[in-house]
Amino acid sequence: MSDPLIAAAKAASNGLFAQSTRMRVLSENIANAETTGKTAGADPYQRKTISFESVSDEMNGVDMVQVDNIDRDTAPFRTEYMPGHPAADGKGYVKLPNVDMLVELADMREASRSYTANTQVIKQVREITSMTIDLLRP
Amino acid sequence: MSLSSIAMLSPNIDRIEGAAASKGIGATPNVSSGAAPQSDFAQTLASMAADAIGTVKTGEATAIAGMQGKAPLQQVVQAVMQADQALRTVVAVRDKVVGAYQEISRMQI
Repeated sequence: MSDPLIAAAKAASNGLFAQSTRMRVLSENIANAETTGKTAGADPYQRKTISFESVSDEMNGVDMVQVDNIDRDTAPFRTEYMPGHPAADGKGYVKLPNVDMLVELADMREASRSYTANTQVIKQVREITSMTIDLLRP
Repeated sequence: MSLSSIAMLSPNIDRIEGAAASKGIGATPNVSSGAAPQSDFAQTLASMAADAIGTVKTGEATAIAGMQGKAPLQQVVQAVMQADQALRTVVAVRDKVVGAYQEISRMQI
């Protein structure tokens, strides 16, 4: 038997961790949005994707969120005509990462909202826990 | 804060336990019915306190790991919050129990 409130706080804190991992992945994508290869015709930075899974915690009996795996996006790369670039191929085209800034920014906003929601859960749990403990006070 | 509060808490818990034990013996000196085990309540309290101390220690360890950059921030916050909650619960229960004993000791005989 375990305290459901503690379990709720734990689930929410796992959510925080998952969302911050998502934030890390998309920050990598944004930071590497212009990262090209080094040699002629080399592949540039390949966008990373993240997926979550639900994992059951035996001790508390709750389904926690966990990062499933961080994969690479197989979408085709953008190309740009830059003959002087070290990564340019025979025709002078350079492959640029398949990172779409708009998608990343939308994703970031979503991660941030989700993080906020989880912190709200923790705040609420703390508040009702305090209320319950305060019942013992005279 | 937490280390000193553990240190502060332990003697108090011992005192409660001692008080519980002595009251138990004092209250039933010659009654041979033996319906309830004498230190049942004290044991419950002690195990609860031990649980809380374990939680507080976990919180401490996680906080230190967090400071060293070995644990994620979220985990540190969660562990410390849980420790804080455990500590406050124990303190609230202790206050209640001590209040009850004081009430009994003030009783006119």
